[in-house]
Amino acid sequence: MNRRELLKRAGGGFGALALAGLLDDQRLLARDADPLSPRAPHFRPRARAVIWLFINGGPSHVDTWDYKPELERRDGQALKDFDNFTGFFANAVGPLMKSPFGFRRHGQCGKWVSDIFPCLARHVDKMAFIHSGHTDSNNHSPALFMINTGVTRMGFPCVGSWAAYGLGSENRNLPAFVVMSDPLDRGLPKGHSLNWGAGFLPSVYQGTWLRPKGEPIDNLHPPAGMADAQQRRQLDLLARMNRRHLGQHPAEQDLAARIESFELAYRMQTAAPDAFDIRREPEYVQSNYGLHRPHCAHFAAQCLLARRLVERGVRFVQIYSGGMENQRSWDGHEDIRGNHAGFALETDQPIAGLLADLADRGMLDETLVIWGGEFGRLPVAQKAEKPGRDHNPHAFTFWMAGGGVRGGVTYGATDEIGHMAVVDRVSVNDLHATILYLLGLDHEKLTYRYNGRDFRLTDVAGRVIAPILA
Amino acid sequence: VSLLLSILLTPQQSDFWSFQRLRRPDPPAVRDERWARTPIDRFVLSKLEAKDLTPSPPADRRTLIRRAAFDLTGLPPTPEEVDAFVSDPDPAAYEKLIDRLLASPRHGERWARHWLDVARFAESHGFEHDYDRPHAYHYRDFVIRALNQDLPFDRFVRWQLAGDEEAPEEPLAMMATGFLGAGVFPTQLTEREFERARYDEMDDMLATTGTAFLGLTIGCARCHDHKFDPIGARDYYRMLAAFTSTIRSEVEVVLNRAEHDAQTAEWRKAQEPLVRARSDFESARLPARLTSWEATAPDIPEPGWEILDLREFTSAGGAEFKKREDGSLLIGGANPNFDTYTIVAATRQKKITAVRVEALADPSMVGGGPGRAANGNFCLTDLKITAASLDGAGEPADLRLTNAKATFEQKGLPVANVIDDQLRSGWAVDPQFGKNHAAVFEIEGDAGFESGTLLTFRLVHKCNTGHNIGRPRLSVTSASRPVPIELAGPPGPAFDALRTPAARRSPEQVAALLDWYKRRDPEWIRLDRDVREHLRQAPRPKTAVVMVCSEGVPPMKHHADDRGYPHSYPETYVLRRGDPTQKSGVAELGFLPVLTNGDGGWEAPGARTSMRRTALARWITDPQHGAGHLLARVIVNRLWQHHFGSGIVATPSDFGAQGARPTHPELLDWLACELIDRGWSLKHLHRLMMTSAAYRQGSASRGRESAADDQNLLLWRFAPRRLESESIRDAILSVSGLLDSTMLGPGTLDENSRRRSIYFTVKRSKLVPMMVTFDLPEPLVSIGRRAATTVTPQALFLMNGPQVRAAAEAMAKRTGEGPAADRIARAVRLALGRAPTPEELEEAVAFVRDQAAGYGAEFPALADYCQVLLGLNEFITLD
Repeated sequence: MNRRELLKRAGGGFGALALAGLLDDQRLLARDADPLSPRAPHFRPRARAVIWLFINGGPSHVDTWDYKPELERRDGQALKDFDNFTGFFANAVGPLMKSPFGFRRHGQCGKWVSDIFPCLARHVDKMAFIHSGHTDSNNHSPALFMINTGVTRMGFPCVGSWAAYGLGSENRNLPAFVVMSDPLDRGLPKGHSLNWGAGFLPSVYQGTWLRPKGEPIDNLHPPAGMADAQQRRQLDLLARMNRRHLGQHPAEQDLAARIESFELAYRMQTAAPDAFDIRREPEYVQSNYGLHRPHCAHFAAQCLLARRLVERGVRFVQIYSGGMENQRSWDGHEDIRGNHAGFALETDQPIAGLLADLADRGMLDETLVIWGGEFGRLPVAQKAEKPGRDHNPHAFTFWMAGGGVRGGVTYGATDEIGHMAVVDRVSVNDLHATILYLLGLDHEKLTYRYNGRDFRLTDVAGRVIAPILA
Repeated sequence: VSLLLSILLTPQQSDFWSFQRLRRPDPPAVRDERWARTPIDRFVLSKLEAKDLTPSPPADRRTLIRRAAFDLTGLPPTPEEVDAFVSDPDPAAYEKLIDRLLASPRHGERWARHWLDVARFAESHGFEHDYDRPHAYHYRDFVIRALNQDLPFDRFVRWQLAGDEEAPEEPLAMMATGFLGAGVFPTQLTEREFERARYDEMDDMLATTGTAFLGLTIGCARCHDHKFDPIGARDYYRMLAAFTSTIRSEVEVVLNRAEHDAQTAEWRKAQEPLVRARSDFESARLPARLTSWEATAPDIPEPGWEILDLREFTSAGGAEFKKREDGSLLIGGANPNFDTYTIVAATRQKKITAVRVEALADPSMVGGGPGRAANGNFCLTDLKITAASLDGAGEPADLRLTNAKATFEQKGLPVANVIDDQLRSGWAVDPQFGKNHAAVFEIEGDAGFESGTLLTFRLVHKCNTGHNIGRPRLSVTSASRPVPIELAGPPGPAFDALRTPAARRSPEQVAALLDWYKRRDPEWIRLDRDVREHLRQAPRPKTAVVMVCSEGVPPMKHHADDRGYPHSYPETYVLRRGDPTQKSGVAELGFLPVLTNGDGGWEAPGARTSMRRTALARWITDPQHGAGHLLARVIVNRLWQHHFGSGIVATPSDFGAQGARPTHPELLDWLACELIDRGWSLKHLHRLMMTSAAYRQGSASRGRESAADDQNLLLWRFAPRRLESESIRDAILSVSGLLDSTMLGPGTLDENSRRRSIYFTVKRSKLVPMMVTFDLPEPLVSIGRRAATTVTPQALFLMNGPQVRAAAEAMAKRTGEGPAADRIARAVRLALGRAPTPEELEEAVAFVRDQAAGYGAEFPALADYCQVLLGLNEFITLD
């Protein structure tokens, strides 16, 4: 199959990127030497970068952003006809349970916000709330894969990988897609690195996981005992020999690219540690994020680092709040009050600090900030000494801010107790389509040919949620 | 409706090039007869000549040996091998080289990796916990060994699909079935996800089968008829039915069956006279010796324990009982939290003074037991015994137990708890695991009936979850109180016999008495010891626990079992839109109509298994009536792709309408015929491809050809390419002398390992970073072709990676003593298989001098130089 044949067969519906994807897979551009070089979006992007605050474990919408006075009224009553297999523990289903937290109205938009977010409540006019999210699994890792890749099974590329594949990177000294996980030894999200895997896309598009302790990425420092001048001389010799070799093989583009990659790597040795060093930030910035407060310092550091990375051209950053399941993340099966109050305390000021900082620097307009996890939680209690809430695939809340999103709006709604998304239901595909849209990518055109099929992040569905666009 | 009907094949679809049966084409005529060394070359050259292009001049010998060594073994040739080949005057030197490399065990290690990509091989489940599959590496070893021994490719395929059915005695065939189970599986499931997860699992088996063997995206027909290829959704489910009862299992496989059978036969021959000597003694001499013993014996001893013959036994919790020859019950199957055993036994004894409950050790339990708890413990909570007359007369009576004693009592859990009528307390034996234990309970008043006694025991376990006795044995005695745990005297029937005058003894009594007496006869003891000792020397087979996929085997345990995941369902249904809640009829086993031509008689009668996979395996390898023709085309193309850089079909796993068309269709068919006609020998194909003039061309780009065919589709040169991640790392270890060439066996995740990269454990959530950096794909779905990217982490690894630095230092040491110039020259020869040019040498000497000045020593400077060599494009490029 040659290019002309390919174009003919592909028909008129393909954009330039889809074509490039097709060609990549078939290696017709076999020597596409730089898979991360910036690529043109499909249309004008609203956001240049994304920071996704991943509220890991499934945050309870009815205890955070989706205020349900009816739940207060019916507190303690059984929920009629409730399917006990909705959540994870069919044998621990309790009655309806009101939120243990108070709610108050905030901002010009008058949004009801749980008292566990005193700092974030000041930014509601920047946020677009989506209350009608729903997903396909009541179980962590399928739901995590769903929200990250659009498929409940493992093995598919995640949103960050699609973004890196579609747009490339603006800064070759740093990875295009960075992931941070819990630094307090509470583990990785369920499914581990598969949540930021590239699936069948070339592995270069996978998320670069920053080690929460020690050196965040591998091989950033010269071998022990080697001074900079010595490494420079070494690289000079390498380049000289490689260029001579290239002279004998002038047609091979990848040889030249590899020569260049050593120069990039050399620069990255300086640029990356510089980006990672949040202590270079002025004191007041650090303190706005909450870096001096022990209960949130770890998340503050990650949020501040996210800003520094995005500032330097990193395309996609994901920060996981919390580690594995149960009390190690927002997975409040027991003691929803203690669990959510604790994780809110860890994240409230840092995220608020991030929003304020991005806004101050004029970066918020082109940085899409996303808050959300893999599913919501049930309005009924999960029975325990201190009651909790079980998984709810039928309803969850996301908010987005900046990056082309209209502030202070609410889209979609759950029923009066927050059990099911009922108004303007939003599928995970819709969320993904919207994120890609804000990045300037058409989710129907961003495809990759793998084993005979053109894959999309949104499979055969997805629609952009237009009412929340600025 | 379309879901229920196999889609109708239009003539156009069955005429599609890849579905057509094979016809062996004649190699075409060419103008330049001298260039063509093999029939392959005629096919290649005729296309070039048609475009008025010319092939490239052959590569020099140094280039050729490097190319062939990396290609066939994934390792560079040593400087000595290069010299020997370059100076070999034999005109067949190159052919000899190929034969030598094909015979090298390194060949299987190299080419297995290509197939492992296709097989989405990994050694963990994936998903949330990514639990290990510690016995999955046998599949990797199967591929290595199969390729090394040139297992015919059709058998290679059949064994992966149905080796457990086709050759269950053959360890490699069992290991091969790991193919089916290599995919991911979610080990944490809610009830709602069970059936869907099972369909996903079977889909993974079928989709990978289709992609790997046939280059067909059968998986696309799960939700609807295939959009582009003639594969109906119904066809999908009919093929899926082949895997209905196929599950992952970990079984013990005998590795040396034939050898062990021979050893066992030998051993039996030696065993026979020993057993005969004992039985001859028993029949010829034992009765007389009993008589003379009786004449001289002192008093009639106290009666001993009579091990009860158990008539009925049931478990309240569904455990399974197996009666052992020694009178014990081995308990297996379900181990419920709290089990109660009800055991009925009969005895002729009329007067019973005590009962004994033994809990025997057995290797089937953790730590040998004697309990079924996770640590080998048990906790007997309560014992109730009812006695009734054997002839049914009179009322059954509950026995009152008293004066309990035991071989050992766990602190706080004494045996007296068993008869305290408390259901919270019991008798346990922590930490005395792995040995036999016994408890004795005396009976208040005597029990027993004139016509014999029927005893019903209820052993209740209620203290601690799963703490059920694993191998109980029950005995009674009429010995006088207090009754000790061990009694040497004759058990009831023998005791009665002893008190009966010899002439009046019944045959049963004689037998019981002889059986008791012989155990104290020194001669019998000696003969018996001979038998037992020989028994201990019985040859044991070499075994390994292997993860296989089969039917009717215990499923591999995992997390989802806690909720009762069924592992498989009795039938596979045709689903609408791939949704298990929308079933429309049972799917009967069937294959793709477009690849089926009449009936090949693939079905086989089932024995232990359904043999459905055998039918699939026979169909897929049958070139006449089944899919064998496509199978051959696809594997030929995979081999071609790895040798020539790109396949004759550029999409190696898609031979359907959406895939690329072959650049040399006749050549592909000719090679496929050649494969089948030569007994499916892959090594034959390797040899054929690599000895062709097309393969031996130089790699330099040439203006005219490049302008006419910049992608080298017509093969006017050898396409240069970057080595794969495994070869890069293995080459670094090899030239630095660090390579540990231990073959096969369990892998490792240790990045500092020095074994070949194929022996890295493939844990899905922890892929070895340096491998991924150089484009090792994620093992989630079948990968027919890897990307070859150039990114900065690769450079960082070569500049700063501790393993690279360690190799550079080892390599510097390896260059020996002497002046820097000599050591540099040696390093270049190690890395590149050639001498340095004068310019390179001069430059290197200056570099080492400058670096050494900074370090104040020459060694680190030499190491710096070696590291430069390991980073060279020339080092990691195959040309």
